[in-house]
Amino acid sequence: MNDAPRHNPEDPRPGMRFTTDTPLRDADPQPAHHFSGEVSSRALTPTETTEPTTRADPAAALGRPRKRRWGLLGVMAGTMALGAAELVSGLPTSLTGGDWLSAGWQLLGLGVIGLGGLAILRELWRLRRLGRHHRLREALAELPECSPQQAMALARRLKTQLELHDDHPHWQAFLEARQPHHDGNDLAPLLAHHLLGPRDREARRLISRMNGETAIMVAVSPLTLVDMGLVAWRHLAMIDRLCRLYGLELGYAARVRLLRDVFRQMAFAGATELASDAGMQMLSMDLAGRLSTRAAQGLGVGLLGARLGLRTQQLTRPLTFADAERPRLNDLRRELWQQLRRIDDKGASPRE
Amino acid sequence: MPQDLTRDLHDLLERGRDRQLRLAVTGLSRAGKTAFLTSLVDQLRHAGLEARLDLLSAAREQRLLGAQRVSQQDLGVPRFPYDQAMQSLAGEPPQWPSPTRGISELRLKIRYRRASASWWRGSTAELTLDLFDYPGEWLLDLPLLEHDFIGWSRSQCEANGPQRQALFADWQNAVSELAPDSEVDEAQLAELAERYAEGLRGAREAGFSDLQPGRFLLPGDLSGAPVLQFFPLPGLAQWSAEALAALPEESLYATLKRRFSYYQQHIVRPFYRDHFRRFDRQIVLIDVLGALNAGPERFEDLSRALSRLMQSFDYGQRSLLSRLFTPRIDRLAIAATKADHVTPEQHTRLVALLEALLEEPLKDLRYANVPVKALSLASVRATEVREVTQQGRSMPALRGTDLAGESVLTFPGEVPNRLPDAEFWARQGFDFTGFRPLPREPGPLPHIRMDAALDWLIGDKLT
Repeated sequence: MNDAPRHNPEDPRPGMRFTTDTPLRDADPQPAHHFSGEVSSRALTPTETTEPTTRADPAAALGRPRKRRWGLLGVMAGTMALGAAELVSGLPTSLTGGDWLSAGWQLLGLGVIGLGGLAILRELWRLRRLGRHHRLREALAELPECSPQQAMALARRLKTQLELHDDHPHWQAFLEARQPHHDGNDLAPLLAHHLLGPRDREARRLISRMNGETAIMVAVSPLTLVDMGLVAWRHLAMIDRLCRLYGLELGYAARVRLLRDVFRQMAFAGATELASDAGMQMLSMDLAGRLSTRAAQGLGVGLLGARLGLRTQQLTRPLTFADAERPRLNDLRRELWQQLRRIDDKGASPRE
Repeated sequence: MPQDLTRDLHDLLERGRDRQLRLAVTGLSRAGKTAFLTSLVDQLRHAGLEARLDLLSAAREQRLLGAQRVSQQDLGVPRFPYDQAMQSLAGEPPQWPSPTRGISELRLKIRYRRASASWWRGSTAELTLDLFDYPGEWLLDLPLLEHDFIGWSRSQCEANGPQRQALFADWQNAVSELAPDSEVDEAQLAELAERYAEGLRGAREAGFSDLQPGRFLLPGDLSGAPVLQFFPLPGLAQWSAEALAALPEESLYATLKRRFSYYQQHIVRPFYRDHFRRFDRQIVLIDVLGALNAGPERFEDLSRALSRLMQSFDYGQRSLLSRLFTPRIDRLAIAATKADHVTPEQHTRLVALLEALLEEPLKDLRYANVPVKALSLASVRATEVREVTQQGRSMPALRGTDLAGESVLTFPGEVPNRLPDAEFWARQGFDFTGFRPLPREPGPLPHIRMDAALDWLIGDKLT
């Protein structure tokens, strides 16, 4: 037997001692630093590099894992590249051979491929914009924890996203209100008031007006099929306009993605809100039903559209709403109801 | 008097309509109460036109029309010396307002447009804000009301750090020779009390805050009266309560006890009753940077003084009845003043340190479910933030004029998140420079986060 103690792997591990030569303390606060009179200084400006690191969003894990369809993309890119090569390589022979018809077809084909490529690029570009918008939203969600410089860098990003130029009155008003000591917590209400406030009001007007019109159209239109098409078209147009208000231009794919998000939100995220909304909706439709069935239908569609609009607004507004300032369906309902009543009164009076 | 009665009735009516607020500006001496009040009045007076109060929602929405000073409720109390304070700020060179020596009151009428006008009430409304200023030294007498002489003696003589004990050594030596049952003549008592007061004054100079009784430091018109000739008696622990109670009237213990209770009943209680009972909102101003400069023992001293002090106020939710008859503080701000003496990116750390300092009272407030907001502010901003590049690294810096009148450009140092250990003070310590106010320019006083403080304290009433 040797003297060295043998360790059985099942034994509990023996105690261990660490030396305490190096004290385990945090770094000391930096001491004061006085500058001599000659040192030049400038106004404190935000640096673009210091941005808060974005943290993982817990809600993102709830959604479906995102699949990238590499196969589909590969097939499409391959088809386009090979087709283009085929057409280009065939072009000289048909030109020299004087085969004008096939040369024409080949040129046409190339044109189609070019246009298709451009369309795809534009889609990708808009998707990227949507992605950038999402990243900005995530960064802005961390705004309260930001230092003054980080917060100002974020404000500048928001400005570019909203496509405001430097002399825009809203941006100027914000700059005037902002002080060098304002940190993220202080800047959030200022951004909401100066940059987003006017857009919020516009968005609200838009939602109320467009859905009022949709409701009236449904109430007066005699054809159900036409109604359905009309409603879908108007809702999509509303979403487009809302997005443009908050600095987002939608392509086809981006629109699909946003719509998916909106519907997922409506279906899962705000289930309690949905329940209360639905209760209110039933009540108001019951009220409207006393006037006429058509008015009730109109109101139902209008309320659905308003809910869609509010959800879209919540998803696209760069800063999330504070609880008190969040627009409520209740206010919109009253406006809708008044618009419909007017129509109904007008419609009802000649008959009597 | 009928006039008084109508005024009281009017106030009661206003309180019932919740159109009247009484704001407690609490702070120990040198915490910046007078500067805060001056700035508050100045900002609100300029609110309609040029004041930058963007973090106050009513001002941001341009609903605030301004404020006026109106005649106050209690005609027996001097008016807050706003004009004098403004004069010293506008002087050549500009100076901080002189420290407060007595009580003064101020009533402001704030006019604003309502957020949503309706047919049954006008579009503009008024809010009356009652403010008052007092010497911070007297404030520390409030916790005294909860003690009897024995308890007070114990609390004053024990739990003192070595530095503080050294300041009182002179008095300690003299008093340790006396037994509670010995008979002492007036002259000796007066001398001992004077020594005790000297110890208190020395402690204040050295930066300590927990100093009782406050009138010893700032006697006002009571200078030399026998009521200010007492002191805590060490060594009472060896005596039982019965034995002490049985001591004759002329004994040292009985004399001191009599004077102590007179002080409680006739000086502290009226002060508390007349000025400190009816508050709706409170802001606690604390000079955290000064405490950091002074060292760990004084920092803890400040923490202890504040937690004792905050027990003297009533906190709780308000209802119509409590608003009328037993007002309570339903919202409170704690503020680290002189935030302009550090660079802006240190403000979050300053607030964290402030919360660490007030850990005990914050627990109680949380339990009482009273909303508290911690913030850093500068009532009158005395510096300008700059940026300096040195050795390829850019760092923020402050530019201002220090108290000696020299123009400086400095990075004042970092503020720790929480209290560093005593070793750190021995190694490095803190040295935050004092600045004098910026030269006065027309318009409102420059400030840091006065608007945020106002929004928290009165913003919900300006809707």
